This record gives sequence, C-alpha cells and structure tokens, in this order.
Amino acid sequence: MPVEFVRNYLIISSVLFSIGAAGFVARRNLITMFLSVELMLQGVALSLVAFGRAWGNYHGEVFALFVIAVAAAEAAIALALVLVLYRHRHSLDVFWWQQLREPGTTPPVPEPVEEAEVSTEVHWPKLPPAGIEPVREKETIDVG
Amino acid sequence: MSDSIFVQYIWLVPAVSLLAAVITAIAGNRWLKQQAWLPCMLAAAFGAVWSALALVVVAQADEPVAFVPVLEWLTVSDLRVAYELLVDPLSALMLFMVTFVGSLIVAFASWYMAHEEGYARFFSEVALFLFSMTSLVLVANLLMLYVFWELVGLCSYLLIGFYYTRPCAAAAAKKAFVVNRIGDFGFALGIFLIWVTCGTLSYRQVLAVDQGLQQLTAAGPAVLTTVCLLLFCGAVGKSAQFPLHVWLPDAMEGPTPVSALIHAATMVTAGVYMVARFTPLFAQAAGVGTVVLVIGCVTAFIAAFTALTQTDFKRILAYSTISQLGYMFMALGIGTVAGAVAAIFHVFTHAFFKALLFLGSGSVMHATGGELNVWRMGGLRKYLPVTHWTFLCAALALAGFPLLSGFWSKDAILATVWQASGAATQLAGAVGLITAALTAFYIGRAYFLVFWGEPRDRAIEEQVEHYVRDEAHGPPEPLIMKAPLIVLAVGSVLVGAVIALAFGGLVPFLAGAYGVEPLAHATAEHDAHGHAWGMMLLSAVVALAGLGLAYVFYGQPSPWPDRLAEQLAPLYRISVNKFWLDELGLILVVRPMLAIAAACRVLDNVLVDGLVHAVAAVPAWFARLALRPMHNGLVPFYALAMLLGLAVILTLVLFQIQGG
Repeated sequence: MPVEFVRNYLIISSVLFSIGAAGFVARRNLITMFLSVELMLQGVALSLVAFGRAWGNYHGEVFALFVIAVAAAEAAIALALVLVLYRHRHSLDVFWWQQLREPGTTPPVPEPVEEAEVSTEVHWPKLPPAGIEPVREKETIDVG
Repeated sequence: MSDSIFVQYIWLVPAVSLLAAVITAIAGNRWLKQQAWLPCMLAAAFGAVWSALALVVVAQADEPVAFVPVLEWLTVSDLRVAYELLVDPLSALMLFMVTFVGSLIVAFASWYMAHEEGYARFFSEVALFLFSMTSLVLVANLLMLYVFWELVGLCSYLLIGFYYTRPCAAAAAKKAFVVNRIGDFGFALGIFLIWVTCGTLSYRQVLAVDQGLQQLTAAGPAVLTTVCLLLFCGAVGKSAQFPLHVWLPDAMEGPTPVSALIHAATMVTAGVYMVARFTPLFAQAAGVGTVVLVIGCVTAFIAAFTALTQTDFKRILAYSTISQLGYMFMALGIGTVAGAVAAIFHVFTHAFFKALLFLGSGSVMHATGGELNVWRMGGLRKYLPVTHWTFLCAALALAGFPLLSGFWSKDAILATVWQASGAATQLAGAVGLITAALTAFYIGRAYFLVFWGEPRDRAIEEQVEHYVRDEAHGPPEPLIMKAPLIVLAVGSVLVGAVIALAFGGLVPFLAGAYGVEPLAHATAEHDAHGHAWGMMLLSAVVALAGLGLAYVFYGQPSPWPDRLAEQLAPLYRISVNKFWLDELGLILVVRPMLAIAAACRVLDNVLVDGLVHAVAAVPAWFARLALRPMHNGLVPFYALAMLLGLAVILTLVLFQIQGG
C-alpha cells in the first residue's frame, strides 16, 4: 500500500476528526455539538474512502456510503430530540440537562437561571456563538 | 411366568395411580369438583384387579420370580439405576394388599371427605401415595427403593398436614417428617455401604447368595452387621418402632381415611416389607436378629401398655398399630424365612382389620361431630348398626379371637418366636403373650366404651340423634361407605382362616420369593411344628380373657376401672403419660437441638453474615469515593472521558504494534 498516497488524506481526515472532537467537548450549544459529531463522522468517512482507493477496491466507499446513510438517519432523530429539549427550556444550553448524574449529588456546574417571563409565542431554537454561556438578549439568527 | 401380560405390564399399576394423581391435581378443583375421587378410585380398583390377577399368575408359576425392566432411570459410569420391577410372591402379595385395601379406603373417603375443603387435593395426594407405595414394593433396586421410600414419607407429610391451617396438624406433619428423616439417614448410609462393598444396588446381585451376600460376608463380619443395622434403622423410622414411634400417634391429626391408609395399606408396612425382603442378609448377620427382636418386643409391649389408658379413640388405634408392628418385627427378628413369612402374614391380615377399625372410627367421628374422647361416647351401636358390627369384627380380629384373621397370623408369629432357640426368644414369646392379652383388653375397652352402655354425654347424644334423623346430609350409613366396611369385615373374619387352612399358611407360597433352598428349609421347619396347637390354645385363652376382662370393666358401669387406677397409681400414670417418651424426647433431643440451632443462628448472623457484609461493603465504599463523583451529568465531561479513554487505548495499541 502506497503510504504516500494515503498520508495526505489521513492528515485531513484526522484534522477533521480532531476539530469535531474538540468542538463536541468544548461547545455548550446542542446544535453545535451535533454539528461537531457530523464533522467527526465525515472525517472517518474520508479516511475510509482514501483507504478504499489505496487498496484499489470499493470496500471503503461502500463503508463511507453506509456512514452517510446512518448519519442522515441520525440527523433526523437528533434534530428532533434537540427541538423537544428546546421546547422544555427555551434554550439550547447543554448545561440545562445535568440530570444524568448520580442522584443526591450537587450539579458540578450551577444550572442556568430560568428566564423570568414565559412568553406565549412560539420559540424557535437559535444558534448563538457557543463555548461561553449563550447570550440570550438579542436574536442573532432566526432559524424559523 | 414372565411372558404373562399381568406380569409384563405390572408397571401399569403404579403408572395408572400416577396418572390419576396428575389428572386430579390439574383438573380436580376446576372441572371434577365432587367427582374428584373418581380417577383415584378407578386407578386403585384397576390396581387391585390387575395385581390380583398377577398374584394368581405368580401362585401358579413354577419359577415365581421375574424381573420386569421398564426404563433406565440414570446411568453414571458403573452405577446403573433402572426402574426395574421385581415380581415375586412377596411383592405380588404386598401389591395386592396395598391396592385392594387402598381402593376400599378411597371409596370410603369419597363419602367421608365430601364437602371438605381441598377434596381434589386429598385424592390427588392419595393417588400419589398409592403410586409411591406400589412402586416401593415392586422396584428391584435399592436406590429406587430409597426414592419411593422418601416419596411415601413426603405423601404422608402432605396428608397428615392435610388440615394445614390447624397448627397441631402442621406440627404433627413436621414431626412425622423429621422423625422419619432420622431413620432414613441410617437407611441411606446402609445403601451407601452396600454400594461400596458390592458395587451394585440391584436386588438381583445384592440378594444373590453367590454375589452380594458373599461379598458382604467376605468384607468382614462387622460390615454385614452394620449394613443390616442401618437398614433396620430405616425400618424403625418408617414402621414406627421404639424409639422412633412417637410420630405415629400424632399422625392422627390427618383425616381418618389417611390414618387408615398409613396404618393399614401404605407407609408403616414399608419397613416390614423391606426387612422381609432383605431377610437373606439379616439371617446371616450376627446379632442383628436379637436387636430386631428386642426392639419389636419393647415396641409391642410399650405401645399396648400405653393404649390401655388412652382416651382418644384414634390414638388407641394408633398405639395398637405400633404394637402390632412390634409383633411383626419380633417375627422378623428370628431371622428365618418362616419368621419373615409370619411377619408378612400379619401385615396382610392386619391391613384388613386395622383399615376397618379406622374407617369405623371415621364413621363414629362423623356421627358425633368429630368427638374423639371415648368417655363421652357410648351406646352408639343402636345408631350406627353397620359400623358397630363391622367394628366388632375388626376388634375381635385384632384381639386374636379364635378363628378370626388376627388369631392365625398372631399365632404364627408367637409360634415362630416361641420355637426359635435362645433365651431372648423365649422371653420375647412370653412378652408377646402378655401383649396379646393387653391388646384384647384395650380394644375391648374401646369397643365397649364407644358402642355399649348408655350415652355418657348429653351433647354428644343429641348430636348423634340429630345426625341419624337429619337426612339433609344423606343417610347416616350410605352404600358407598357401607360397602368397604362390609368387604373389610369379611376379610378380617375370613382371610386368616382361608390362608391358614385352605393354603396351609403362606410359607409354601412366600418361600418362592427366597429361592429354592430356603423353601425346602422353611417347609421342613414348618412341618416340624405345623400348627402349634398348644400355642394356639394359649393365645386363644389369653385373648378371651382380655376381652372378658374388658367386658367386666367397661361393658356396664363398673367401679373397677377407677379403683384399679387408684391402687396401681404408678403403673396407671406411666400408661397415661405414654412412658413420658415425648417429654424424654423433648429434653434429650429436641431441646439440645434447639440450643444448637440457636447457637448456629447467632454464629451465622454475626460471623458469616458479618463477613459477607464486610466484603460487600468494599466495592460500595470504593464506588462512593471514586466512581460517584465521575457521574456528574455533564455531557461534555462524559465525551471528554470517552475521548481520553480512546486515546489511551489507541496509544497502547500503537505501542503494541510497534513493539511487536
């Protein structure tokens, strides 16, 4: 197997994967985290295609197609879940959902403060810059 | 003989009983309801007919021993245990007795148990009981014998505890089970010893003179003696011999037909049958015969003496069973084929009259509304004529009234014991005679107190009158209940005479079970004393004297019983308190056991449980300290942990690849 042939592809794919992993760990916005996961998946898919080319067969490409199909299905479900979570809290902050911890322990990060007014109008998820606590006073991007 | 279908398919007898038990257990409560007795009845009747035909086949055969292979039960290297049946005169006779008396008892019980809670359960358990007992007498393998031995114990536990909501019934069932367990422990050890010595458990080899018997004798005199003593230990438990007889009187807590079943057809006869079956071993074992003889003698006397003063109707009968079983073991203790035959003869006749006595007592209990104290009854003969006459037949047979069945068999035992050599047997014969007098007296006492004189208790009298007049529950003595009583009464009167006179005793018939050589031996022995006329006369006189004394004391109001009780106060107290055997057992066995159990419990709670809890606390402590904080609910944290873990594993794998 020509190592030189795959090397560049592998570098790109590992860079993609690392960015995705770092994003998933560092970001607090649910949608951004989901995007990061997609990035990791595509990084892997890229390396599969590269290996397929290197070996001269279609195994890697078939695999990559599978990854894309699964990623599509996953996106459908994950986005629906994110929407449901958003309906509960009117926020995309992952720190709202710390109930997965051991019962009887205090949350390691103080939960975000609930907004005082509960408006009756329909809220849509927004994509604020994440990593820090999402800014909530102005709408930046209207997804709806 | 083995080509006869009645022998080849003898396994149908237990199989049908088992089928009846299963059917009744499944369908009894939901569909059969008041017809739940039918499967059990049909199975028992079928068994009786089939085994009677098999008995005829066996009696006419030249070579009356056949092994009938049915199925392999288990095979582990050298150990082959087959459900193989042995049909020979001994097992055929026992089988006929069990099924015939059993079917009569079932018929009676269908009336007696009507409208009881758990009607179907009762008949399911009885059918299981019959299955176990018929298998027990048929199997040709010691391990299978043990299996059915235990099954019989289980069935007796279930039936004695039939009214399990009553604490005393539950306690009695437990007592029967635990006491039997003591005997069975010895029995199991005996079987192990036979296995170790002979390497086989099949009767075919163990009882063969040139195989098992020879190996056992060759292994040293102590081995054979130990084997026989251990086997006898099992018989002592099952057949209620001193000192393990304490469970039988308490077993009266079960329904009366169960008592009849346990005392007459099944359970207690198992021990006698087993010792009779292994007579070839017992005959060779030095000293064991004397032990058996002495135990039987002591049991016969103690039980008869206790029965003299009991006031509980069924308990009198229970002690009489123990006493009669003592007789049987006396005969077995002689250690000859003639002795074993006499014992089996007594088992056979005893089954008839003892079943009848218990069924009669059941009828009396129904009439009096469950009253058991004989001093509160009286004058019942005009209310329950059939019960009275049949009970009289059975009582006379038990007492050894001349020419009735008990007379012949008891005489056979006493004659055998008397004519065996040795001082112990002479003494045993004398005790046997005294016990015969006591037997006649106590059964006469029970009979006169219950059926003669005037009613002693106004409430009981009203109850009986109401029972006889009130047709709402059916006639007081319907056909289904009369028929078994009458058949058993005819049996109690005639069976002994027919066997003794028409067939010249059981010796020529049963000797076939012990091979040809003992046959000649036993016949010679039998011819030597023939019917011991002197002994017959003596036992007849003794029986009549006992009955006459009972009539004088209890036939009409008499000051004698009280006066005698006062004058012989120490003896009276011994008898009333049953030799303080229950109390003795309580102090010597039960209390120490409870103390040990309490100590064990403390040890278990503190030491064993403490250790277990300590070990179990370590992971919990570690988890609380190290693992619990990790589960903080932060998704990014979990993701980071996963990534780090992945990184570590990948690094290791990489180094491995490079290193390799």
